[in-house]
Amino acid sequence: MTNILEIKGLSKNYGKLKAVQNLNLTIQKGQVYGILGPNGSGKTTTLGMILDVVAPSGGTYSWFEGMAPIAARKQIGAILETPCFYPYLTAVQNLRITAHIKETPFSRIDTVIEQVGLTERKNDKFKTYSLGMKQRLSIAAALLADPPVLILDEPTNGLDPQGIAEIRTLIREIAANGKTILLASHLLDEVQKVCNYFCVLRKGVKLHEGSVDDILGDTNEIEISASNMDELKEHLSAFEGIDSIQTEVNQLVLKAKDGVTSEQVNKYCFDKGITLKKVVTRTKSLEQEFLKILEEK
Amino acid sequence: MIRALKLEWLKIRNYRTFWILVGMYSIALIIICFGGTFFLEYLKNQGADFDGIDPTILPIYDFPDIWQNITYLATFLKVLIAFIVIISITNDQTYNTLRQNIIDGISKREFILGKLLLIGSLALISTFFLFVSGLINGALYSHVWGASFIFDELEFIFAYWYDIVVFCTLAMLLSLIIKKAGFVIIALTLYTLMFEPIASVTMTEAPFMKEGIWPHIVPFLPIHALNDLIPVPFPKYIFREIEDNIPVSSLIISTAWLGIYLIGIQFILTRRDLKA
Repeated sequence: MTNILEIKGLSKNYGKLKAVQNLNLTIQKGQVYGILGPNGSGKTTTLGMILDVVAPSGGTYSWFEGMAPIAARKQIGAILETPCFYPYLTAVQNLRITAHIKETPFSRIDTVIEQVGLTERKNDKFKTYSLGMKQRLSIAAALLADPPVLILDEPTNGLDPQGIAEIRTLIREIAANGKTILLASHLLDEVQKVCNYFCVLRKGVKLHEGSVDDILGDTNEIEISASNMDELKEHLSAFEGIDSIQTEVNQLVLKAKDGVTSEQVNKYCFDKGITLKKVVTRTKSLEQEFLKILEEK
Repeated sequence: MIRALKLEWLKIRNYRTFWILVGMYSIALIIICFGGTFFLEYLKNQGADFDGIDPTILPIYDFPDIWQNITYLATFLKVLIAFIVIISITNDQTYNTLRQNIIDGISKREFILGKLLLIGSLALISTFFLFVSGLINGALYSHVWGASFIFDELEFIFAYWYDIVVFCTLAMLLSLIIKKAGFVIIALTLYTLMFEPIASVTMTEAPFMKEGIWPHIVPFLPIHALNDLIPVPFPKYIFREIEDNIPVSSLIISTAWLGIYLIGIQFILTRRDLKA
């Protein structure tokens, strides 16, 4: 695996405030890496440092295993916080500026505008855009040079549910094309749905790092229900594969012993003459795990 | 270089405020360059006379005096070019596009270079315009003609360009420090037109100051040194001795100030974190 980004001991102090403390991160090619943390946890400061707009107080970073920073930034499509464009220029005129800096042919502009669905408004001034359209234009700008790496900071901030869904689909499509994405977000759900690796930041300190699949996976809890719940409960209390039964509204929650699957529970019930209406293995959510991580530290 | 300048061009070419300022500046420049005869007519009608001489026969458009005359008057308009520079730089800060430009892949040095080239180019266009209108007016009204007259004292054309460049670099420095266009414009105008002139007069005339070192400081003040580049030409028309060269001392002092502004710009921008 080639390292896209390597951060070593990066720190930033604003006076007494330690915005980022001794951060180490390695991002590899093809990862969709989420930086998760509440507001003010140092996400944007970290991205600002690796993009050379905030001077680090300590530590180093290197892009593409040591490429010069300015050349590296032309290979990166990045948006930090709010979309930054010239309000008096149209989408096309704004993207010409980006294309000029990134040394990309102007012919790419229509392609990326199409990709984010702004074709109809491409000749309108940026200041007439809604927040969602501004957000989409900044993604278009990030995609303009067809960069191998994208950095997105709160890309769905301020969007309506439909806009959020669209942007997330777009990000997944981009990731499916083999691009490396670094996404900062305070939304657990977003990281869970989009990323495959993630780290948790709090007050500038990295609390956890790992793959999303590792932390998610299945739990040993199984939700089941049948037409006759009393009969179901009676039969199941005799089943040896479970530790406990909890009654919830319209369903029972079983704590299965290690190695016991929902399939075995289903077969057991079927043998007893009960047809189950529902058998679902509960999955972990990042939210629970996130809270657990915060509690542990 | 061309790349940095083209970036600035892409930012302003569709910017209406820019073209309005350019329009205002051009009109004012045309009035100054071509309005001399009308102004002298006006003076005559008002009953003014210069030691008994009819103002309309004053040879203000004669080569080579014309260069000093029009450049001296036209430098009063440099504040309008400074406004363009101020707006261009404060825009990049308020819209956060300075940060975005850097994220997209330029260095802070390249950004500074682009703005300096913008200043140099605006000054060059204005200087060229002034040169051409000087030739036209000279052709129309000058009592003498010929290369030796036309190209004499052309140094004032250079002084004019240099004056704009140094002044706009000061405007750029202030834009980076103060950040808000309105405040920068107020600060620059107040300092140029009020604070420094009043301070100069106080230092040279006030009884408690004029005996000491104070009057000798005045030529070193930034605006004063710039204004000295093109000495006031008109007293010659009432037969007074005037300076008709660029004073070397003010050229050196202005260049020193230019250096200070550039160091300040570089210092501020490289130290600053571009966080929203």
